[in-house]
Amino acid sequence: MAAGCLDIKLEDQYSDPDAISTVQRARELLSSAYNAIPRIQVSLSVLSDDFIPTNLSGSYAELLNLYNWQERAIDDFSATVWMDYYMAVATLNALVPRLEYVAVESDEDAAAVEQIRSEASALKALCYFDLLRLYGPVWTDENMDKDGIILKDRLELQFLPRSSLRDCIDEIVRLLEDAASRENNAAEVYYLGKDAVSAIRAEVELWRGNYTDAISYGLPLLADAGSRWTQTDYDNLWSDSDSRERLFAPYIFDSFYTDLCYDRESGDYYILNDDIVFDEGDMREAWTVYPFTMSADTDNSRETRNLGKYNRMYYETVDVRYINTLRYSGVCFTVAEAYARNNQAKEAVDLMNTYLNARGAAAWDAADPGLAGDGLVRAILEEKRKEFVGEGTRWYDLKRLGDDLDRYSNFGTSVTSVIRGGDYRWLFPIPRAEYRYNEAVTQNPDWPVIAVD
Amino acid sequence: MEKNSLLKWVVAFTMTCSCFMSLAQSPGNYLLVGQVTDEAGEPLPGANVYMRGDIGNGTSTDANGYYSLELPGGKDIIVEASFLGMKTTSIEYIGQAEQDFVLRPDDNMMMEAVVTGRQNINDVDIRAKAGVINVVDVKRMQDKPMIDMSLSLQGAAPGLVVTNRGDLGTKPEIRIRGNTSFREGDTANEPLYVLDGQVISSDAFMTLNPMDIADIKILKDAVACALYGTKAANGVIEITSVRGTNGETLVTYNFNGGVTMRGRRVVPMMDSAEKLELERLLKNHEAPGYLYSEDYYRRYYPNDPNLDQMIAEGQAVLDKLRQTNTDWFKTLLRNDFYQRHNLSVRGGNSKTSYYASANYSYQGGQIPGNDVSRFTGRISLDQAVGKRGYVSLSVNGGYSKADSPNGSSYSPSSLVYELNPYESPESGELWSYPNRTYDDLVYQYDRTSTEKRFGTTASINLEPLDGLQVDAVAGIDLVLSESLELIPSTAYEEINSGAAENERGRLTKAKNTNTNITTNVRVTYNKIIGKHDFTVGANTDYYWDDIDNMSLTGYGVGTQKSAAAINQSLEGSRKVSTSNLHEKTAQVGIGVLGGYTFDETYDVFGTYKADASSILPKDKRWNAAWAVGAGWNVKSYFKDWNPVSALRFKASYGRTANLAGVSPALAMATFSYLDDSYGDTRLLELMSLYNDSLKPEQTVSTEAGVSFGLFNVVSFDVGWYNRVTEDALLDVPIPSSNGFTTLKRNIGVLSNSGIEASVSARILDMNDLRLNLRFSIAYNENKVIDLYDGDRLYTSEDAIIPDFEVGKAYDMLYGPISLGLDPMTGLPVFQGADGREIQADETLTRDDMVALGHSVPPYSGTINLSFTWKNLEFDADFYYVFGGVKQYAYSYVRYYDDANKNAVKGQVDNMWFKPGDQNKMYHTPFYSSSVIENLTAWPNSKSIGSSDYLRLSMLSLRYRLSEKQLEWTKGVVKYANVALQASNLFTVTRYRESDPESGSLVGQQQPIVTLSLSLSF
Repeated sequence: MAAGCLDIKLEDQYSDPDAISTVQRARELLSSAYNAIPRIQVSLSVLSDDFIPTNLSGSYAELLNLYNWQERAIDDFSATVWMDYYMAVATLNALVPRLEYVAVESDEDAAAVEQIRSEASALKALCYFDLLRLYGPVWTDENMDKDGIILKDRLELQFLPRSSLRDCIDEIVRLLEDAASRENNAAEVYYLGKDAVSAIRAEVELWRGNYTDAISYGLPLLADAGSRWTQTDYDNLWSDSDSRERLFAPYIFDSFYTDLCYDRESGDYYILNDDIVFDEGDMREAWTVYPFTMSADTDNSRETRNLGKYNRMYYETVDVRYINTLRYSGVCFTVAEAYARNNQAKEAVDLMNTYLNARGAAAWDAADPGLAGDGLVRAILEEKRKEFVGEGTRWYDLKRLGDDLDRYSNFGTSVTSVIRGGDYRWLFPIPRAEYRYNEAVTQNPDWPVIAVD
Repeated sequence: MEKNSLLKWVVAFTMTCSCFMSLAQSPGNYLLVGQVTDEAGEPLPGANVYMRGDIGNGTSTDANGYYSLELPGGKDIIVEASFLGMKTTSIEYIGQAEQDFVLRPDDNMMMEAVVTGRQNINDVDIRAKAGVINVVDVKRMQDKPMIDMSLSLQGAAPGLVVTNRGDLGTKPEIRIRGNTSFREGDTANEPLYVLDGQVISSDAFMTLNPMDIADIKILKDAVACALYGTKAANGVIEITSVRGTNGETLVTYNFNGGVTMRGRRVVPMMDSAEKLELERLLKNHEAPGYLYSEDYYRRYYPNDPNLDQMIAEGQAVLDKLRQTNTDWFKTLLRNDFYQRHNLSVRGGNSKTSYYASANYSYQGGQIPGNDVSRFTGRISLDQAVGKRGYVSLSVNGGYSKADSPNGSSYSPSSLVYELNPYESPESGELWSYPNRTYDDLVYQYDRTSTEKRFGTTASINLEPLDGLQVDAVAGIDLVLSESLELIPSTAYEEINSGAAENERGRLTKAKNTNTNITTNVRVTYNKIIGKHDFTVGANTDYYWDDIDNMSLTGYGVGTQKSAAAINQSLEGSRKVSTSNLHEKTAQVGIGVLGGYTFDETYDVFGTYKADASSILPKDKRWNAAWAVGAGWNVKSYFKDWNPVSALRFKASYGRTANLAGVSPALAMATFSYLDDSYGDTRLLELMSLYNDSLKPEQTVSTEAGVSFGLFNVVSFDVGWYNRVTEDALLDVPIPSSNGFTTLKRNIGVLSNSGIEASVSARILDMNDLRLNLRFSIAYNENKVIDLYDGDRLYTSEDAIIPDFEVGKAYDMLYGPISLGLDPMTGLPVFQGADGREIQADETLTRDDMVALGHSVPPYSGTINLSFTWKNLEFDADFYYVFGGVKQYAYSYVRYYDDANKNAVKGQVDNMWFKPGDQNKMYHTPFYSSSVIENLTAWPNSKSIGSSDYLRLSMLSLRYRLSEKQLEWTKGVVKYANVALQASNLFTVTRYRESDPESGSLVGQQQPIVTLSLSLSF
């Protein structure tokens, strides 16, 4: 009786049991999961071979340490990446069980809930897949039972061990199948739609060596690729306008990609690697290379090839609203690589030529002996690097290829160090904030552990 | 003896029921006459003389202090004489025809013996017999000229620790017997404040007018606090306001005015000559002492043909600099003033009484731009309803304003220790702040915070049957705190922010409204049968707490301190942002109590209260607080044996659930909106990882005490307590794969135990001459008793020293033992756990760390002295703390990087500069980054200092003008006194850096000296 007056409704907070009672609130909670995806494009690009340092790099010690793959810098970076992805996972774990309590009053509501379920599974799969590629070893027969990542199903305090690589990929596939099995007509490009789910699936299958599956999931998405790869759609990628090239592009409200620039007069901490060169007439060049005169007012002025894309938007004070995370051209590379690895060189070259043609680059000759076997795979990945430079995808490909990675001195004049293909740092360290409080978790090989007790 | 004790019961009982209990008898035929005088024999005109319980038919004395009173016949008649500011005296009427009264001054001068309605209805008499309740000497508190009500409570009761934390206007830390929780901060540890039965916030308490307060009780143990239930786990401060009197209207004006001073020079700084020499030794060419030195020219221009001329010119520059010696302490800090005006009117008759007051106070801080001013008003009215009831109403309000130029990232007070003596406000660009002039350093930040308080309380006290009391109180207290913070566009930080001109100037405006509603209904029944005295009671109460915070931050205001000036067209990081938090919580409680006293000798008391709080989910809502206590008055066995004038034992045990600092979002999934969006969708976020097994903390208190008096001259009070907090809550770090880094969990058991003792002695007690001394000391010791998950808890992922460890105190500072500086390297050498020497660049481990001392001083106490000679009164209060240590930040010791800022006096002699330097205090200024961790991450045995201090917190010399001296006013001025009063005159400490209390430069309680005048008409 007396306790009745203690059920106080808070006007600016929603508490269980009816916290998520409407479709709108479910959507709003899902949105904060999308918003939690870490924005690591700059850092991952710096870790890869996309960039070379400049005379300004020394002013941003943290980023320079990351460029040089210093343990502590990678450890710090790893801590935020791990935290942010698991924050998104926690939000999804909060959302999914509460969807049962969402009031469904019409068919429209029912469809909206189904849509949210599909997106939630897809987003979780995306988070797991990114984490797995960062923290786990590459997919080989002997690695399958090695530690992958922590699979987290419930919103509660748990001290979980890492699951094996095989279990992780099984869970990712299960989530993607769940996402695909539900009606999903995502209205906005910043939500994970049906095509995005297939694109992720294709990438997962390529990653685990199921090339035919990668092709069968990816190929249908490229049916109308020719009409997507237009100049306008390409230009619009770096604007707040719509682009049919986007498959999934999280929305961003704050500033993005501001870390590369020291200031608008002096120039950037990192500029494009010299070996990224474009053919005459390649439409990608205009948006990828941003010609700049660094420190123009001083005696040390220097002509440089800075990164365009978001970096150019920053120079031109254009707000970034979409982070192009999955693109149709990315699916093209996935399928082409799958063809190449599946000994379907002709199909690979044909697909690549459709793409190169659309971009205005020189077509490949299928008879070129360099475009066979491993050479073809590398040629495809080299084109992919040109398409996606600065967008944070290259590091994953380098890890898969297992090649050595050169670190350069300022402006690439000399190689200062080499990160070997099998170096322990290709597996990110499990952060202190995890292993110090979770005895069940294991650290990746060779990473130091703070010992107490 | 039996009869006597029964009589005392009646006395006690009638007092309990306050004075309106009717004996339902009409005045009879007996006449009693006499005179009422003070101790000096001066007659007291206007004193009330009446039969206890029948004040309405009393009389008052004439101009010469004479009275005549009609009395009925019969037994057990008590006649009382009362006078404002004097202790009420009573005698038994046994038929005598004449009776004189000699009244002695009441310790609490303004307290009136005639109590009318009671609003603090939880102040049940029986509670005091077994519980530990300290009564604050309100008069002494009022004598302290300081604007901050909470700070003036420092030293008011043993175990009540008040610690200043910042500049004037900053809320101090108030704790009763230490922290009950592992959680730091006020929300989890501050006591409950109750004003006239109404719960008020600590912010409201800070702004009360001390002159309106008649009585403050500090409730410490479970028995005393249990009536407030789960709200009272951290103790209670119960405040009773001044109310009307039954008697002539008295108008009192009180003025206090004086000077606020700069205070202690916390660190002596260098003069120009020493500073320039230090700069030369540090070899940083950004400081003139090196840039113009011979060393510099010889090193960089060894072959320059003009070398000699350059050296000579440099020397001339240095000579000129040496001639300036600015004392920045005096230049930047100031003397300001303090004033307080208080006007009150009180009066009434046996049916109606009233009190009204208005107060204005101002105190200026050490640094220009820091001050507090306050206006308060209060009206209260008590009205008898029939013969067995009272209705009381009170309304109070206040407005207070605090200004500060000290922000979180910028504090002009710290400039005192940074600007060089060879610089002056006129010197143009400063060496200590390159590219900036003096004007670029001041007027950089400005904060005004105001508090508007309004409270009203209504109560009713009824006694429908003899021995049965029904009391009810209801009230609301509301505090609107607003703050306005400006970094003007002209501030250096803004000019150099890179923002365009129309984007400069940051303004933050915040409004926090805190509303407390209290209702409490209590029924108490008391029955005496022979030697047996029974009390039973029950109550039900309801508390509502509503906190509504909102704030907005915007840019582009220029220098305008107004939210209207915000440039709303800005996007990105300078976009307007708002935040809002509205939290409402309620608590319903039902309580019962029972007490029994046998023969005035044995007391037992028990109370049980069940509270339901809206904070926790339905199934966990009800929590209990219960306590039992016993008292034994040994003195009643030898009443007539004088050497022992009092001897009484008390013990109590109780258990209280504690929900302080717990919000609904911690116990169940709670979502709130961010002020961001994702596309066209708002972002709804899970506020925190919730803990559905969250339980309230359980506080278990055990208490034992003894009071002892000798010859009515010396009295001792000693108490021991042990307060154990079970299921203590803490935000503990959790694996980050959970999506959150912390979770509020019940993690262990901690204890606070200690001893509180006080001795007071009436050293001299003659007619004209009295000297009283009081000494008190409190000791508190805290310990981690248990941690549910292992023996150690690290709250930071980088920590090598646990924050909490079973069996250890949790306020302990840890660090290595320093063996001093190595004369060859100039770097400290530490003693390792295995006895070997550890060099500064080696990694220290957990085993190398030892406990260096308590960061919270375990001992605190006061020494009070009162001396009266004729009309002259002298009072002094000392406050001391000891047993704690603080780390020296050595922020005024300069190394290469900050060589351009002024340094501590003596650094040139005390610093290691070259191999072979022996016995130096400060390590080499030339060191590599590999040793920084060991130099800065931990204190060591040589970088800590004792934070003990002794402060003269109050000094008052008062002269009361006698009636004769006031005769010339022809009765217009009834009473008058003048006084010289001072607060915080000096602090003695061995701590060499900053303030030993607040640990900060800005936070020093400044000395204030005032002259006070009090007139009553």
